[in-house]
Amino acid sequence: MTAPGRNAFVYRPTASPQAAATWTPRQIAMTNLRTVVGRAYPRVRGMLREKSWVFFEILLPFLATSAFVFVYRALQAPPQYIGFVVLGGAMTAFWLNVIWMMAQQLWWEKSQGNLELYFAAPMHIMAVLFGMAFGGFIMSSTRAAAVLVIATLVYGVSFAIDQWALLLLVFFLTLAALYGLGMMLASLFLMWGREAWHLTQLLIEPVYFVSGLNFPVARLGALGSVAISILPLAVGLDAMRQLAFADAAYPVGTPSPAIEAGILVVMVVAFIGLSRWTLAVLERRARQEGRLSVRWQ
Amino acid sequence: MTAEGFVPDTARLASPEWGGFDPSRTEGRGWIDIRRSFATAVRLGWQMEANWTDPLLFFIYSVAKPLASALILVVMLDVISGGARPDYRAFVVVGSALWSFVQSGVSGLAWMILDDRERYRMLKYVYVSPSDFLAVVFGRGVARIAVGAMGAAITIGVGVAVLGVPFDVARIDWPLFVAVMVLGVAAILAIGLLLAAICMQTRQESWSYPEAVAGALFLVSGVVFPLGVLPIPVQAIGLVTPLTWWIEGVRHSLFAGGVSSVSGPGTLFTQLSGGSGPDPLTIVLALLATGAVATLAAVAVFRASDRRAKDRGLLDQTTGS
Amino acid sequence: MPSSTHSDQPLAIDVRGIRRVYNVKPKPVVALDGVDLQVAPGEFFGLLGPNGAGKTTLIKILTTLLLPSEGSARIFGFDVEHQTKQIRRIMNMVAGGEQSGYGILTLREQLWMFSQFYGLPSRDGWNRVDELIAAVGMQDQAQQRVSTLSTGQRQRMNFARGLLNDPWIFFLDEPTLGLDVAAARAVRELVVAWKAAVPGRTVLLTTHYMQEADELCDRIAIVDHGRILALGTPDELKKRVQQESVFRLELDRLDGGVGALRKLPGVVNAALAAGDQADGKGERQTVEVNLSLVDDAALGGVVGALGGLGAHILALRKSEPSLEDVFVELVGRGFGDETDDGDRKDRDDVGPSGDEANVIDSTDEARERESEVVA
Repeated sequence: MTAPGRNAFVYRPTASPQAAATWTPRQIAMTNLRTVVGRAYPRVRGMLREKSWVFFEILLPFLATSAFVFVYRALQAPPQYIGFVVLGGAMTAFWLNVIWMMAQQLWWEKSQGNLELYFAAPMHIMAVLFGMAFGGFIMSSTRAAAVLVIATLVYGVSFAIDQWALLLLVFFLTLAALYGLGMMLASLFLMWGREAWHLTQLLIEPVYFVSGLNFPVARLGALGSVAISILPLAVGLDAMRQLAFADAAYPVGTPSPAIEAGILVVMVVAFIGLSRWTLAVLERRARQEGRLSVRWQ
Repeated sequence: MTAEGFVPDTARLASPEWGGFDPSRTEGRGWIDIRRSFATAVRLGWQMEANWTDPLLFFIYSVAKPLASALILVVMLDVISGGARPDYRAFVVVGSALWSFVQSGVSGLAWMILDDRERYRMLKYVYVSPSDFLAVVFGRGVARIAVGAMGAAITIGVGVAVLGVPFDVARIDWPLFVAVMVLGVAAILAIGLLLAAICMQTRQESWSYPEAVAGALFLVSGVVFPLGVLPIPVQAIGLVTPLTWWIEGVRHSLFAGGVSSVSGPGTLFTQLSGGSGPDPLTIVLALLATGAVATLAAVAVFRASDRRAKDRGLLDQTTGS
Repeated sequence: MPSSTHSDQPLAIDVRGIRRVYNVKPKPVVALDGVDLQVAPGEFFGLLGPNGAGKTTLIKILTTLLLPSEGSARIFGFDVEHQTKQIRRIMNMVAGGEQSGYGILTLREQLWMFSQFYGLPSRDGWNRVDELIAAVGMQDQAQQRVSTLSTGQRQRMNFARGLLNDPWIFFLDEPTLGLDVAAARAVRELVVAWKAAVPGRTVLLTTHYMQEADELCDRIAIVDHGRILALGTPDELKKRVQQESVFRLELDRLDGGVGALRKLPGVVNAALAAGDQADGKGERQTVEVNLSLVDDAALGGVVGALGGLGAHILALRKSEPSLEDVFVELVGRGFGDETDDGDRKDRDDVGPSGDEANVIDSTDEARERESEVVA
């Protein structure tokens, strides 16, 4: 190693350890904000560095969505149902991102040996989760937008939107609630090993079904109502379908988009609050049981 | 701990009986070694797949995915037809159940590569062991395929018992069923190998790639709608996909007289064949031919990937982001 | 052992009665069994012990990753159980064989990402990263992907990460594990230089490399089976094994035999060196004698007396015990020998360790054995 200058070893001189340990609220906030950017960075870099995702995350999902379009075509369904499938196909990008790149992520970080470094650093672990969400969001937004645009053009979907503001609000609330749920799952999975991996698998197709991925969730009756009250994907998709196809006859039985937006607000607060609480509780439990650095579970 | 006073008998330890070097060991024992590697990998794969929870939760887990996939389609169908198309309901339930098996098969091998490289960091050790690498890869995938088969069988069972899928054991065409299952599983494994080869090159976040590929093949394989609704060029792609013929063969053998995904009005197959649907021999031959092409392609791609991985030092990399 | 520091500043590490039990099957494992430890600010403190001794468990507790089952621990006055945020702002850690990070990133990017976790402004973060990359001599690898770095390069990167936030206390858990001689030396030099840059910086090093501990540490605790068996400066620890000054003399002759030497003032014992039983006669032209003195000062009298006995000193060498000797004496085995449960049980039967009584017993036994050899 070369002889380092003094700067390398003295970056931010502090009078004492006590002074260094005392942070202002601004310092705390800025550290957490920078953590969000820092943790999002590898995700974005990864996207730019290995471009195979363009094929696997955009083209192939478009084809998968197309399969359901052809199911409706085979059944000679009304045209708005093609639109329902396309919208559902676009929104699955976010749910898959929440499952694959958030819910399991703390467990993965543990497997990689990163988790103990996160917990030994001064930022809030929620900031790390926000960073993962933000980084993943960029990729899934690209996928969602691509599926939406390409499928709309190829299959001639026509949207009829009267309330743009509400639609955008519902969209962003859905994302916030989805990623909030992802954070909660991530904190729960902090304690688990392979269970986490397998249980996230369980959250894909069954959630698609009860959320009405390719059909109006109202058709599920009571099951649909339950889904609307607990699953962001179900309530968000339903509200967006109502708003994006305002001219189409839409099955009754679900709340209006405004009410569903309210449900989403409650979900956002609840999921983020719960994830914060579960993280605190489970971090303590993990420290008690020595699980923050146990690998290969 | 070394026992006090213990003096190892080095001359004895060096003898082949005690694990010392035996020149004949470098030659291996052919199939015996491959079989042992495969069996060990199967056992390990099953433990990793199944021993994380109690049997009940494992059962629910194994069945929930395929059942939910089938139900999505059943509801789509009922939303539009109001239950007026029982033949089509049977078509989508069976197709969806079989597809869950395909998904397990194609993802099992690729996930083995990612799991062992990134999480357990064992891939390099497996690779340098005398075990046949492909035998280990296939062995590790068997557990997922078994779970997928169980899920598919139960979904079909639920379809028959609850969703009105017509089924008559006496009408099963057993020879066709056995033939298409053998050839079909081989074809699924070939596609799985292809994806394993791809995942050897890609980064950790490629967990969803196998499912994405399966999702794309879902479009062209006549799984839940007849190929006739697709444009002719896309139908052509479907007809050279072994999965199309496998699903057609299983439908034909288990549910004789049902809707065909390959033939019918507006289909390329009907245009080419002059009107009749595919008979069992055509299905088997088509599956054999397309499966052989897929297998050759998979082996070639796997070899190329293997070479590139060694060339670029990818076997022991970790690539998380 | 410092009970307090020169000012009112709290101890860098203050561990009181820490016990940690892992509830694993088939039976719970006691990783730490009543550890008391005080480290003053500015100390370079070493925990020396074999694998499974409890070193890493103690580090995990001190770095807020693990809770103690019993007892308390403070870092610069902050409680490890409840004041984790404060501790995390002033400490950092590096472990040997650490594989953390994201393989997709370059070295520079990886360090920048961690700099953000410590709240460095983005531009400052890049500058700081470049400085540290230069400090660890990795400019050539700065744009190289982390997944392609060698073991030694990775460990240097880990050190750069550990220094990003100017920690007041640096926890090093077997930091030179798996490194070659040059890389290990570079790492040691780096830590020493970093520590010297600001008074009060403290290092807790766990290692099972005796020489590393001897070279770096102001004080060392020898741990085994979750207990501190001995604690002191390297010299103090060595003295526990060998309280007398031991010299080996090579003489041209010794007419009166070693008996003449034993009568001299300050001489505890004198014996012919092993393999030199000719007692000054026979074919050998020289005589080698092991001489045990009450202290070094007694040597002058012996040298003078030898002249009177007609002997000339051809060579004189002081025998120094190593830390390994200390360890073997205290633990009863070398580092290479792992214990099984039977050994653990035997040791548990000894009673509470980490107290002076056991240390003294062990060193007394050691001295007796040493005397037998000398006699």
